[in-house]
Amino acid sequence: MTLADTFPAVQVRRQTTSGRIAMVIGLGLLVALVAMPWWAGAGLIRSIVQLCCYIAIAQMWNLLAGYAGLVSVGQQAFMGVAGYMLFVLAQIFGINPFVAVFLSMLAPLVLAIPTYALLHRLDGPYFAIGTWVVAEVCRLVTSNVGFVNAGAGMSLRVMSDYSAQERAIGITILCAILLLITVGGSYWLLRSRYGLALTAMRDNPVAAASQGVNVARLRFLIFVAAAMGTGLAGGIYSMAQLRISPPSAYDPAWANIAIFIVMIGGIGSIEGVLIGALVYFFADRLFGAYGATYLVVLGVMTLLVALYARGGIWGMVCKVMDAPWFPIRRTLLTAGGK
Amino acid sequence: MTELLSTHALTAAYSDFQALFGIDFTIAKGEVVALIGANGAGKSTFLKSVMGLIRVKPDMVRFDGAAVGGSAPHKMVQRGVAIVPEGRRLFTGMSVEDNLRVAIDHASGQGVWSLDRVYALFPILAEKRRTPVQSLSGGQQQMVSIGRALLNQPKLILCDEISLGLAPKVVKEIYEALPAITAAGTAIILVEQDVSLAKKASRRLYCMLEGRVTLTGKSDDISRDAIGAAYFGAGHAVA
Amino acid sequence: MQWLDALIQGILLGGLYAQYALGMALMFGVMRIVNITHGDLVILLALVGISLAGRLHIGPFVVLAMLVPLAAALGYALQRGILNRVVSDDPLPSLIATFGLSIAMQNLMLEVWSADTRSLPGFGIEQASFAVGPLFIGVLPVIVLLVATGLTGGLDALLRFTKFGRALRASAADVEAAAMSGINPKAIYASATAIAVGILGFAAVFQSLRSTVAPSDGPAQLIYAFEAVIIGGMGSIWGAFIGSMVLGISQAIGFRIDPGFGVLAGHLVFLIVLAVRPQGILGRS
Repeated sequence: MTLADTFPAVQVRRQTTSGRIAMVIGLGLLVALVAMPWWAGAGLIRSIVQLCCYIAIAQMWNLLAGYAGLVSVGQQAFMGVAGYMLFVLAQIFGINPFVAVFLSMLAPLVLAIPTYALLHRLDGPYFAIGTWVVAEVCRLVTSNVGFVNAGAGMSLRVMSDYSAQERAIGITILCAILLLITVGGSYWLLRSRYGLALTAMRDNPVAAASQGVNVARLRFLIFVAAAMGTGLAGGIYSMAQLRISPPSAYDPAWANIAIFIVMIGGIGSIEGVLIGALVYFFADRLFGAYGATYLVVLGVMTLLVALYARGGIWGMVCKVMDAPWFPIRRTLLTAGGK
Repeated sequence: MTELLSTHALTAAYSDFQALFGIDFTIAKGEVVALIGANGAGKSTFLKSVMGLIRVKPDMVRFDGAAVGGSAPHKMVQRGVAIVPEGRRLFTGMSVEDNLRVAIDHASGQGVWSLDRVYALFPILAEKRRTPVQSLSGGQQQMVSIGRALLNQPKLILCDEISLGLAPKVVKEIYEALPAITAAGTAIILVEQDVSLAKKASRRLYCMLEGRVTLTGKSDDISRDAIGAAYFGAGHAVA
Repeated sequence: MQWLDALIQGILLGGLYAQYALGMALMFGVMRIVNITHGDLVILLALVGISLAGRLHIGPFVVLAMLVPLAAALGYALQRGILNRVVSDDPLPSLIATFGLSIAMQNLMLEVWSADTRSLPGFGIEQASFAVGPLFIGVLPVIVLLVATGLTGGLDALLRFTKFGRALRASAADVEAAAMSGINPKAIYASATAIAVGILGFAAVFQSLRSTVAPSDGPAQLIYAFEAVIIGGMGSIWGAFIGSMVLGISQAIGFRIDPGFGVLAGHLVFLIVLAVRPQGILGRS
């Protein structure tokens, strides 16, 4: 009797039924997105572009806070610098804007490295405020740089070289790519062996480190990746607006939006981000007119979630059923099939 | 002798992991009772349950006639229970005297212990009263920890592995202080891994294994073999 | 002369910032919580003070006498009601909870008081000044500086020499051991927050005397408090004071160079300190 005979035959199952269904639906939605210039009006396209940016930014924040344990309230810094780099490359240097938007990811990359180097020794809450300071510094410096028209901002006039239809096609494709990179990229990351390291790091950094996970380096890489993803969303958003100015580019409201979406939806899960983004999107449209009162409610909801329902909506769903849209777990199946 | 503390079918768990499976225990006023057992037997968990660091049902722990299971730790101190925790748990960054004063500030009432009396028990601490506690040796830190518990004016002290990590000479010094504590009328529950120390210092002992009491009796009367069987479990060979 | 004037302005500004920073240093030192509403609380207290002054026709020092106990009670309630639920090793819940509360507070204040800027009538004290040689120094800034120094010294003494201070320091070192020595952690935390917010009562009055306040000003004050604590060194009460001075002077000198540069100068000094001496001026490595 060999050693192999003593162990039951096993398989590692990675995909679930719910995951397969979700993947089909997801692909369908992406196709619908890219087809929007042919079936949707300008207003709807603008709304969906905004929704895609919400999802991307929230997912990047989710990766940072939910897995790397880094809470940032300054991601708008990366959105702003990427947006400005896009406008500078396209408007001032004449590079094709649809190419420039990807090149503009260099700006957040370059900003993220010294930012992390300066801030990473700070304790959690202090790290968060530090990111806010960095965002403010970016805003103030940009407001004073004549090259980018200082406080008055810039317009992306080169876009008038394209027809409205061409612009719509371009931006919906960009949004699809954005979602693939941020949401798809996160999912790919979590399913890879880095994903195991990330989940371990989320659950217990000390234990993860003792198992050989280079926690410091992984955190740094996640920070930089999240910065670039957020920057891309910022670039696309500013491109859709056709205008950029320091207060809009570095708007702290983006931090509020990301936090709300991730916390309400459910931190540490991609499903949560999608749910949260939809909730925020519709809440904003339905109640945004109520101005300050609406924001009071948002703030109170965030507070209540942090106190009583830390897993958000998806967390509550998971307590009742186990049907992930983005299956990450590896399940061990023995020959008996269970 | 009057019963001071008793536990009845005490069960305790850490999340999903059950650590104690129904412990019955008593200790009388001024008595010294030892609790021995291997690592993971549940001795520290037992002390934590008494001290209120772990949730248990109120009736499972009775102190001075009242059902106190699950009370908050600071309330147990007010009732007259003090603990010398595992690993000492001193307040780093504060001086020896400040560590001791914290206990005085929150004592359960008037009592026989004073700063001077603690310094008389452990003279080296008087010398080092202004030193930050993290610069003391292990043995000196243990003395501070004991002094801190005493200054709570307790009727009962829980000593969790006070010999751990200390040189034999230092352990001897510390154990020589115990009779002075009982002379003042304080009862002691002594959790110890060192069986001979435990036997010598106590009147009665309990032995635990995997969350249950496997042996109890008068320390002088119990044989080494009986302890061996109870410590490691019957059926395990003891060389 | 211009630079000396900027230096003095900076020191006096630092006195105000110290009153923000002390509470933050206390709360973070003891509980490892950063209360994101820290700045919003100052603004709330200031707006309440201004409304009280308007309704009851009272002077700033009467307002101060009313606000400080109110602030302490507010801090106590905040800790017992909300923050005690999120004190733990994980920084995320307290950060998110206070973040959400901050958004709610700012917008609630906006609803109640509108976005108009307001200030507290000081009946002349804002303009009063006295001459020291060739310089004119304002009475109010000197009062602010003296109060800041007094509060810092008082808080430091409280921590070092009193029963309450020992209990706070013990809880900061090891909260479970503190409980085992008879300290009630929840009560200690509530008292710490009451003191932290009580000090903000002073800051609220001085800020609304020396300039205007509006509901959305909170975050800026939070950032100044935070920068002051980091520059001065975490874990040190006098560190918070010194850090505030450095920040105030940096901003004043920056403002003197160019009016748009003031706040940015402070940020840059903060980043430089982070790069060169991350533990802060009085912090231990």
